[in-house]
Amino acid sequence: MNWLLRRVTTILIACAGAVAVTSAAAQSNPGDALAVGRQMLAEDNPGELWVERGKTLYYQKRGPRNASLEQCDLGLGAGVVKGVFARLPRYFADTNKVQDLESRLLTCMTELQGLKREDIVRTRFGNLDRNSDMEALVSYIGAQSNGMRMNVRLNHASEREMYKAGEYLFYRRNGPLDFACSTCHIESGKRIRLQDLPNMTDPKEMQLTVATGWPAYRGTHSTVRTMQHRLYDCNWQMRLPDLGFASDMSVAITTYLNYSANDGLISLPGVRR
Amino acid sequence: MSKCAIDTMKAVALLAAPFLIAAGCASFPNAASTRQAAEKMVSEAYPYTGADLNRRAVQDESQRMCSGIGGARPTPEQSAEIVKLARASFTYPPTGKLMGDWKVGAQLVSDGRGQRIVGGQIEKLSHNGALCINCHAIDPNEVNSGNVGPALTGYGALRGNSEATARLTYERIYNEWAYFPCSNMPRLGASGFLTPEQITHVVAYLLDPQSPVNKK
Repeated sequence: MNWLLRRVTTILIACAGAVAVTSAAAQSNPGDALAVGRQMLAEDNPGELWVERGKTLYYQKRGPRNASLEQCDLGLGAGVVKGVFARLPRYFADTNKVQDLESRLLTCMTELQGLKREDIVRTRFGNLDRNSDMEALVSYIGAQSNGMRMNVRLNHASEREMYKAGEYLFYRRNGPLDFACSTCHIESGKRIRLQDLPNMTDPKEMQLTVATGWPAYRGTHSTVRTMQHRLYDCNWQMRLPDLGFASDMSVAITTYLNYSANDGLISLPGVRR
Repeated sequence: MSKCAIDTMKAVALLAAPFLIAAGCASFPNAASTRQAAEKMVSEAYPYTGADLNRRAVQDESQRMCSGIGGARPTPEQSAEIVKLARASFTYPPTGKLMGDWKVGAQLVSDGRGQRIVGGQIEKLSHNGALCINCHAIDPNEVNSGNVGPALTGYGALRGNSEATARLTYERIYNEWAYFPCSNMPRLGASGFLTPEQITHVVAYLLDPQSPVNKK
């Protein structure tokens, strides 16, 4: 962990020394003042460290069965990582479920490597004391679709069911504050305080949000977060309980959102506040 | 169940699904089965907490009517019902005084905390914040405010601070759905997120001529 912190610190110092690029847009609205920081981070993305660690983890023989993840079928056949992110979530015949990258990795880590589901779930989100293997693996595998375009398909009846459920859930208001995803995410140019909110009904904004978004290095968290965490975090702000990791609800919303981002040019991991 | 879905099931039984898909049978499930599937997902989405907290994800009647796919508005009949329920939710402070202390209100409007669940427990706070500037510009000198809701700068300067204005403002914070069914704005008083007394402080902050909201 120490070497990692040192490397991140070095990178951050290097960024701070770099010329701060202030775009014309950054001066036009107060939310965009934060774009300067994002740009500085993106120029030397700390998320690359998670990609490297994820690659090591992917090939490492781990768990009670002493197996790597090379036999894991992420949708394009066992051992294929290139291009899988672009096609997820998708239906998997062996589990008879639609799965996103995180839930599929959970399947492979439990079934191929014999790791305990509850251990993986407990350590799903990293913190300053402990890295998350899940966040590293998602970073590595996500980055193997860089340069490709999002291409989620709804060929299987279960995929269409998940998509429609995700759409329904996107507009479903609940909780003590009456919120749905749509409360904040169906108009362009909106902010909560100074944080820009993507309009998730606009394919162009969704292409950027998904294809360059999650997994992303989050500056305020000092770690990479995945889409599962993004949804968990939104739920938390909506005053709902902790969203079940790899729950069908999370996969349904991800299916709806990722499909709407089709044709987006993938560049991962992203950088976010 | 749609004819297509039944055909698909028959086809799967006959291992002939590819032919059907090729023939263009790739319909989406209908609204009723989507709703059923999605509601089942919600009921299974929160495995780490008990029924007391998970109840938050169960919709009340008004929330259900305000969840139209694609942002569809409720029907006129539903709107009337939402307004009726919202009006019935109003309660007022025992003192009957609707203008509280604008200085307390100033603290509340920029406080975005309250009722979040951390590690399976509700965060422990002496009171909930009123969350206002998350979505509204209110104090002309506050930069850190959102724009999901309309700007409220000069609210009292524009409207005055009569008893009628105070009552309307109080009721709109208490339950905006009485005036704008399915508004994005939470029903802050009706849900118990804010107490009647807290709302009077926010009313004062919006209406009092001495409040920064109404200073040029």
